[in-house]
Amino acid sequence: MKVRVKLFGILGQRFPGYHHEQGMEVEIPDGARVKDLLAHLEILKSFGGVVAVEGKLLAEDARLENGAEVNIFQSVFGG
Amino acid sequence: MKFLKVDMSTKSVNVEDVPQEYMGLGGRGLTSIMINAEVPATCDPLGPENKLIVAPGVLSGTSLVNTSRVSIGAKSPLTGTIKESNAGGTVAAALGHLGITAIIFENQAPDGELYIFRIDENGDASLITAQEYKGMGTYALSEKLLETYGEKSSVLCIGPAGEQKLTAASIQTTDVDGRPCRAAGRGGLGAVMGSKGLKAIVVDQRGKSADAIADPEAFKEAAKAFAKAVKEHPFTGQMLPALGTAGMVAPVNSMGAFPTLNATQGVMEGWEKISGEALAKVIQERGGNPSHMGCAQCIVHCSNEFVDKAGKYVTSSLEYETIWSMGGMTGIDDFDTIAQLDRLCDDIGVDTMDTGVAVAVAMDAGYKNFGDGEAAIEMVEEIGKGTEFGKILGNGAAAIGKHFNHKRVPVVKGQAIAAYDPRAMQGNAVTYATSPMGADHTAGNVVGEYMSRALDPLKPEGQVEASRNTQIAMASVDCTGLCLLASFALTTPEGAEAFLKAMNAKFGTQMGPDDIPALGIRVLKEELDFNRRAGFTAADDRLPQFFYEEALPPHNKVVLISDEEMDSTFDF
Ligand code: SF4
Repeated sequence: MKVRVKLFGILGQRFPGYHHEQGMEVEIPDGARVKDLLAHLEILKSFGGVVAVEGKLLAEDARLENGAEVNIFQSVFGG
Repeated sequence: MKFLKVDMSTKSVNVEDVPQEYMGLGGRGLTSIMINAEVPATCDPLGPENKLIVAPGVLSGTSLVNTSRVSIGAKSPLTGTIKESNAGGTVAAALGHLGITAIIFENQAPDGELYIFRIDENGDASLITAQEYKGMGTYALSEKLLETYGEKSSVLCIGPAGEQKLTAASIQTTDVDGRPCRAAGRGGLGAVMGSKGLKAIVVDQRGKSADAIADPEAFKEAAKAFAKAVKEHPFTGQMLPALGTAGMVAPVNSMGAFPTLNATQGVMEGWEKISGEALAKVIQERGGNPSHMGCAQCIVHCSNEFVDKAGKYVTSSLEYETIWSMGGMTGIDDFDTIAQLDRLCDDIGVDTMDTGVAVAVAMDAGYKNFGDGEAAIEMVEEIGKGTEFGKILGNGAAAIGKHFNHKRVPVVKGQAIAAYDPRAMQGNAVTYATSPMGADHTAGNVVGEYMSRALDPLKPEGQVEASRNTQIAMASVDCTGLCLLASFALTTPEGAEAFLKAMNAKFGTQMGPDDIPALGIRVLKEELDFNRRAGFTAADDRLPQFFYEEALPPHNKVVLISDEEMDSTFDF
């Protein structure tokens, strides 16, 4: 299945040619979970990758759906 | 270790040893404990009985990174509660270098008189008449003061809003480049400074009489380890240097928790236009600096220098909270307008948060349209001009709400909320409602708990405890001079251990990990005691009714924390 990923913080810099306006399409196995997507993109846990879909933060074990618009950003603590 | 006591009515300055009961205290711990002990709780905040206390943190002026926070305390004219508001810049380090634990301003100068309080490099202090600076904006004023007293000076000052004693007036302070763009914004402390007849404090940065460090070698080691922890943390070492606090726009919108159009929506349409990513790009393209060192000793560089299309400096630093208050709340999605509003607020000397929320409330009440940037600029300019409307706006969101008899006024104890909607982050609902300071995100922001998924932001369970713990942690951090942003490195075991070692090496103590929160609890207890004696009760620890009644899209939740739960926040 395919999901559309937008990368925030400095995550975008890790993918050469990444265009923030468009985001990028990522192909992952059907029924993949959040942690599978992060592993696929090589965003390590220590980097603090957080995934949100439709205004909700998802747990690592949450399943993603085909066509989902996924925002990935680094964990934040406050401003 | 000395106090400078300044009597504004007799114009006398006394240097005193720090009394036993205040030994070892600094920052918020010192200002709050002293206010509770010495300021009558029911006094008029703008009257002679109130005191204005300026205290660097206990580590300010040492070699530990990111320790140039200065706490300013008084009874607040905005909230009627005890108040500590802290700011970055360079003044805390300058006071630390002079071994000054606090400056305490008492009484008031006769009406119409205005003074500068100046401390030279030997620590000698005097009051100097400042009539010629009357009504001056903070930018022109700082320039003049640095010209007169030398570039190696730190300035704390008020603008026209503080002189008019408006209750959203800030105290501005200079950054490492001498611009008055850092603020102790919250709680109207600029009005207290104005009421004393004090226009500015100028401190020479070249002092060489810092307090001794008990174990300098151990301190050096610990400082090195702490700096490493700050650099290695993904938030303080990567995200903040690249995007600053504006990097919060994406995550908070992605969570549906960005209060928009006067807190009627949780996601701003088109928020990507005012995101941290977009900001860094605009600044870079125009030749500004997206990763600027705002404060002395800083290795994080969360600050930025926003420039206009011609590459000319407009403001520093365009921060998340201002982008939200002047952008998200008002529906203005254009950086140039938001930056102009930020600059205006800094120059006039008003809190960007309370002012932005006040503008949004006025728009929501139908006074102007949401998204009308020109109207917003004109409204804020009126504060500087001292018009009748300007005075109401400069008294903050609560005053504007009353003026329009509007039903949706997002304030607690008279102070505007911050850029996290309490309905989409239930823990921040607890902090806004119960903090002794009024609605204040820096008093205990729970957002980190949601990011780590330790807690569900939309459910009431666990929120009181999370808010309690962060409020205790922040009350401790605010005593040390450590910048809130760098303090997130304390969430790693390496960072926490290094920081504790630095504290022990500084004081020659054997504090354990529990002693730091114990300090926070002590400070909160004193603050709550002051508020109780000032007449505040549990009934004041509530959010405005609309937060319990109007569901916030996209989650369509209201605040779910019961009154009983709220009241258990400080069961310690
Ligand atoms: S991180 Fe930002 S606020 Fe903190 S000390 Fe550095 S420039 Fe100042």
